[in-house]
Amino acid sequence: MSRVIGIDLGTTNSCVSVVENGQSTVIPNSGGYKTTPSMFGISQDGKRLVGHLAKRQAITNARNTIFAAKRLIGRRFDDPEVEKSIELCPYEIVRGPNDDPRIKIGGKTFTCPEISGIILREMKRVAEEYLSETVQEAVITVPAYFNDTQRQCTKDAGKIAGLEVLRIINEPTAAALSYGMNRQGDERIAVYDLGGGTFDISILEMSDGVIEVLATSGNTFLGGEDFDRRIVQHLIKWFEKTEGMDLRGDTMALQRLKDASEKAKCDLSMRDVVEINLPFIASDAEGPRHLNYELTREKLESLVHDVVEGTLKSVEQCCVDAGLQAQEIDQVVLVGGQTRMPLVQKRVTEYFGKRTHKGVNPDEVVGLGAAVQAAALLDSDNDMLLLDVTPLSLGIGTYGGHFARLIERNTTVPVSKGHIFTTTRDDQSAVKIRVLQGESDMAAENDLLGEFVLSGIRPAPKGEPEIEVSFDIDANGIVSVSARDLSTGTEQSITVSSTGTLSDAEIDEIIEEHDRYEVQLKD
Amino acid sequence: MAQVPEQNDWVLALAPGCDADLLVRSTAEGYLFSRIDGATPWRLLREIGGIPAEQVDACLERWLDDGALDVVGGRATTSGASSGADAEADAPSVDAAETPSNAPVAIDESALDDRLDIGLDVQRRILEYEASLGRSYHVLLGVQPGASPKDVKKAYFKLSKEFHPDRYFRKEIGPYGDRLDRIFKKVLEAHEILSDPELCQVENQLAAAPFEEAPAVDAATVPESAATESEESAERTKPAKPRPLTKLERLKQRMPFKIDHASLHARRQRADEIFRASQASQQAGRLHEAEASIRIAITFDPARAEFKEALGSLKIAATGARAANLLAKPSERMSDSELFEALRLIEEVLPYRPHDPELNERAGRICLRLEKYDAAREYIETLLIRQPESASAHTMLGRIHKALGDLDAAVRAFETALKFDEDDSEARRSLAAMQIGARDGARGGSTS
Repeated sequence: MSRVIGIDLGTTNSCVSVVENGQSTVIPNSGGYKTTPSMFGISQDGKRLVGHLAKRQAITNARNTIFAAKRLIGRRFDDPEVEKSIELCPYEIVRGPNDDPRIKIGGKTFTCPEISGIILREMKRVAEEYLSETVQEAVITVPAYFNDTQRQCTKDAGKIAGLEVLRIINEPTAAALSYGMNRQGDERIAVYDLGGGTFDISILEMSDGVIEVLATSGNTFLGGEDFDRRIVQHLIKWFEKTEGMDLRGDTMALQRLKDASEKAKCDLSMRDVVEINLPFIASDAEGPRHLNYELTREKLESLVHDVVEGTLKSVEQCCVDAGLQAQEIDQVVLVGGQTRMPLVQKRVTEYFGKRTHKGVNPDEVVGLGAAVQAAALLDSDNDMLLLDVTPLSLGIGTYGGHFARLIERNTTVPVSKGHIFTTTRDDQSAVKIRVLQGESDMAAENDLLGEFVLSGIRPAPKGEPEIEVSFDIDANGIVSVSARDLSTGTEQSITVSSTGTLSDAEIDEIIEEHDRYEVQLKD
Repeated sequence: MAQVPEQNDWVLALAPGCDADLLVRSTAEGYLFSRIDGATPWRLLREIGGIPAEQVDACLERWLDDGALDVVGGRATTSGASSGADAEADAPSVDAAETPSNAPVAIDESALDDRLDIGLDVQRRILEYEASLGRSYHVLLGVQPGASPKDVKKAYFKLSKEFHPDRYFRKEIGPYGDRLDRIFKKVLEAHEILSDPELCQVENQLAAAPFEEAPAVDAATVPESAATESEESAERTKPAKPRPLTKLERLKQRMPFKIDHASLHARRQRADEIFRASQASQQAGRLHEAEASIRIAITFDPARAEFKEALGSLKIAATGARAANLLAKPSERMSDSELFEALRLIEEVLPYRPHDPELNERAGRICLRLEKYDAAREYIETLLIRQPESASAHTMLGRIHKALGDLDAAVRAFETALKFDEDDSEARRSLAAMQIGARDGARGGSTS
């Protein structure tokens, strides 16, 4: 049997791992790096470049290099997040036929699952080279707050990459799995995950290899890139003030500013002051202009202070949801490169009143956890068990546009729950069951997963008929919903199938196109 | 409500999690509510409740139906009063539930299958456990009543390791897949109940009750001496009801945020803070920020109507001048595209104020103009709940019925309109026209 890999498909970097002889290992790519940039570009001569190769030419070829596509996957073109990306990204984002955002580079339009698929295919290739065997199956991680569509799109990306996705698991859960492997005893763990594009906080309980998620919270709009952006904005303003020139319209300058800001931010984790030096950043009639700025750690901390405090608000809510006080947490695991920042470590340590766990590499722990889950499912020697949860609340729309929750988010699966509803009009003969997913109390603000009608209700005054609605989620996360009129026994049900932004036919078409491209390369 | 003699001796207690704010409709009811203490029998409550006995009965029955009260004593004789068929149907399941945990359960050996990727001893264990799923939650988890949360969690984890479907991922296990699914869901439920301090307390009480009490006997056939004996035992003990938890679960579902009062209080305070921040943003004209804050406030305290009201007002404010202009223009003078846009705006706002008479009326008028009669009817009927005496609404309803072809209903609606406003010329005209039409129709019918 071929081996199953775990992939952390990150916003900025991706990482692939495998469990060998009971030990989880990160697989380095051919350049020796343990993480690979989640970037894809088309060079001037039409070549497709992935990972480090794409990153290396990003500055000179900003318009044709895609980064942070994960921020767009599974969203609709009109989402505020997409709008924000359009404003900030040097590449062109266009509206696709399914109202999905697509990215146009090198004269060709790519869908978001396709771009993630290209990156996953690269990770698959890295693993195959290392293991000297073909790999066909993977566990992939996503942020805890990804909704159904985003998860399905990630699965579709796996399919495009030629991988069967055994499970999609949450990044913080994966981190806890990696932390908990080969560890005995009872512990409560908080995973604070501040990655490139998203922030997740989860609280988990672990005992003798069983891991249970108590609560998760987070913010899909917040991550390390916001830190970079704060620096970029600060530099733009400073340059405008001192030189009187606006760099906002210059994509090449923006890409250089972004790279320099990211580097300065990383350097400031170890030093107190860095010099940002960008010669020939712009030019006008008077000649070339250079940007030279000294950024202190203090200044950086004042620029991003509110972002860090924002994460602690989510942490607070997560503790409330878990029914725990911050002091009751035994171990705090930091995940994501951004947690290397001293300010983040200081504030998290202060909040929980204890030192954070130092044993794991924040860039690798999620990918390792994905491999651990793959082993837990398939390897009979592995004794870990993840009690996974449903990421968002499920329920139905009720009278007055409200949302009645039947299964709260973070409920362990498999699970069944039922509730009795009634009619709102005299002699009402049918009810429409609208299956919704989301956290809003207003039905209209949640995602509609499916709907069906239960008819043949016996005529009765309103409020009298009893209609039992039951939700069932199996271990693979497949949701089925049934409604039954308790007096007549009439029943209707549906199985909710997740849909991404692409149809099966579109996915097959993309796979074919990629195969053709690979063949071309070989010729 | 008629007196029910057998209720005389019932002893009532407040169900865990029930909330006076939701149940009590008047101060008199509040007084009665305060006297329910888990010791005073029903007949005494009639005397000391401070309101007429019939009202006490009605009120207590309503609370019982809501699941807010539990009968903790004196019920033995009444469960016996249920029909004999019921009693027979109940008896075996109660028996099974109370079999001591170590007693072997008979399993169907023919279900064992040595071709599966699952050992025969494990198959036997799964069949045995599945056969005992009717037992109490304590027996299922294998913990003592009153076990600490830590022990409950340990037991739950141990059983998860045994029965979670993921343990057999991709294994050929045939019908055992469904069995594991059923077992794990039940284990999950047992853990959910026993790890909730309040629900756990109820379970502990049930577990402490002796077994012989639950099997029901038809009261009519029981000799007098036996009847008094069972009544006595009822005084001493608490009844082992087989299904009280479904009621509690329902109650819990209805009031998911009313469990831990300390954290509830904290949440409410946070919600208030965020709400104040939202108001500040609104005053500063930052409507989107205000909307974001208020949504957070709602997640912290979803029960507060004023937050939702405020969100509704914000939405209206945010849709801006365009909406105001559109809504100020009489619908009769709008173009079709304007009508559609106005309807869309109203539908956006309506979920936040589902009963707003003005919005419903406008929506109704617009739908009528757009010939969406079913939708129009729904809006106007909602309007009539709030303003049952509005002649113009009844007139509109008449027009809708007429358009839908229900002439009798139309005539009734126009007549109702005239009852509230004699000068409603449209109703009068339409009514006259329809009567002429009906006469003509009748005449046409007789001549042909």
